[in-house]
Amino acid sequence: MKLAVLQKWMQAVVVHPGTTEQALRSSAANRLLSSSDLQKVLLPSPTLSPAERIAVYQEMYPLRMYDALAVDYPGLEHFLGERFREFVAAYTTAHPSKGYTLNRLGDHVPAFLKRQRRFSPRPFLVDLARLELALTQSFDESEADPLPAADFEAIPPGRLAKTRLLTVPSVRLLSLDWNAGAYLDSLRDENHRHPKITKDRSFIVVFRRNYSIFRLSLSPSAYPVLEDIVAGQLLGRVVSRALARRGSKRASPDDFTRWFRQWTSEGIFAGVKKTA
Amino acid sequence: MNPKPKGNRFGFKDLGIGIGLRTVHYAHILARAPKIDWFEILAENYLDTGGRPAYVLDQVAERYPVALHGVSMSIGSTDPLNREHLKKLKALADRTKAHWVSDHLCWTGVLGRNTHDLLPMPYTEEALTHTVKRAKQVSEILERPLVLENPSSYVEFAHSTMPEWTFLARLAEEANCGLLLDVNNVYVSSFNHRFDPIEYIDAIPADRVVQYHLAGHTHKGTHIIDTHSDHAVDEVWNLYAHSVKRTGRVATLYEWDEDVPAFDVVLKEARKADRFRRALPS
Repeated sequence: MKLAVLQKWMQAVVVHPGTTEQALRSSAANRLLSSSDLQKVLLPSPTLSPAERIAVYQEMYPLRMYDALAVDYPGLEHFLGERFREFVAAYTTAHPSKGYTLNRLGDHVPAFLKRQRRFSPRPFLVDLARLELALTQSFDESEADPLPAADFEAIPPGRLAKTRLLTVPSVRLLSLDWNAGAYLDSLRDENHRHPKITKDRSFIVVFRRNYSIFRLSLSPSAYPVLEDIVAGQLLGRVVSRALARRGSKRASPDDFTRWFRQWTSEGIFAGVKKTA
Repeated sequence: MNPKPKGNRFGFKDLGIGIGLRTVHYAHILARAPKIDWFEILAENYLDTGGRPAYVLDQVAERYPVALHGVSMSIGSTDPLNREHLKKLKALADRTKAHWVSDHLCWTGVLGRNTHDLLPMPYTEEALTHTVKRAKQVSEILERPLVLENPSSYVEFAHSTMPEWTFLARLAEEANCGLLLDVNNVYVSSFNHRFDPIEYIDAIPADRVVQYHLAGHTHKGTHIIDTHSDHAVDEVWNLYAHSVKRTGRVATLYEWDEDVPAFDVVLKEARKADRFRRALPS
């Protein structure tokens, strides 16, 4: 058997989500090697048949995928309980690892949950997954020194409008419709007092300072301001847009000093970019 | 009687006794700066992160000698080599001043997928020619000799035409590779495939061995799985004792990856290697 064919066949068996018997008989495996010819490719040992021997690999594959996804999605794992295993099989069939690291395996989880119907309540699970993915991404981003408050305060008032603020790379902004944040917090409750899953609009910035991850709640008016800053808008435009918004998203002139002071002290900004 | 070993042909240093850098030990290592000769770094865990793992790695690499150990090179795969991965690996090796870069004699996936398992090769002339060619390419990209580890395996291919030890020795000679001899893997595979582990070790070109791995495993009765979850059994230590008589003192590392105990427990297990190293003529 040629090396390329052997590897395609063995992979088809190893990643199959069913039993080893089903894997060996699957169309992906069978078109490369008939299951009745297994003993022509794999030798038995004194204690294991060829099928039992390849089962060692086939049984380890889902465990490895489970462990990798559980590290990045502890909230999802806890919420789904026994069904997390089923989720892992469905997800890794749709989005198998294609990279050299398992750290990126879960990148498509929010999008996958959004388009499936097996796991519910779907909108809550999507929000929970978006939050957990943001935490993972923030963890892995490159480090940057935060902007000292004095540097921000040193910008002449006349130049503020033509200034852009750079945020630290670990910043992730989230607008959630369900109480995913409260659920994630409740994982630390050893008595398992989890909140009732409910619709609850919230705005969050996730960021890292001194290698620790933080989550900060934002008001409906502060969120679009930080969103504009992250998008690289000039501060003059950020402010004018904020003042022109309607309803709860509208900022008042007094808000800006308070927000910028807080965000600077939290270490959300990395630098100032002045334009000519 | 073995002739007195002359060290490896690459001039790689005997780094002494080390353990694998694991997340659960980060705080202990940073706070206590424990007395240990060197650390092995699981390369893929540090290639794409700028967070705490990267910070810890830089601290460790500043204080201790390190070597990189990869799990995704997939040297035996019929897929093209992942050059982006190899370039990042080289950059990490340069940044950490790694003494060498190792990976496994295996394949991890085809058709663009990665199973993240160390899947076994058939030991055929076709597979040997293929792997030699790729190992040479990798050495060129890394700008250093590639070091390859013998795998543990659970299947044997009916069309193999040579034993694993012959394949490994020929691969090392033809591609000019160093070898990372995992003594536990030799033991695990010798049980699973019923071969003599001494015959295996005696067939390995001693001057190409630049590092040892030691670890614990899980005995299932019908077969053994390489779980890195326990102390090494006496049979593995005996194989190590036999092998170091051929190779001389070579950098030795203890791997513990499941149910990882406190740092000092892993280090104490690793230090058992001292007994066999000290018994060698200086």
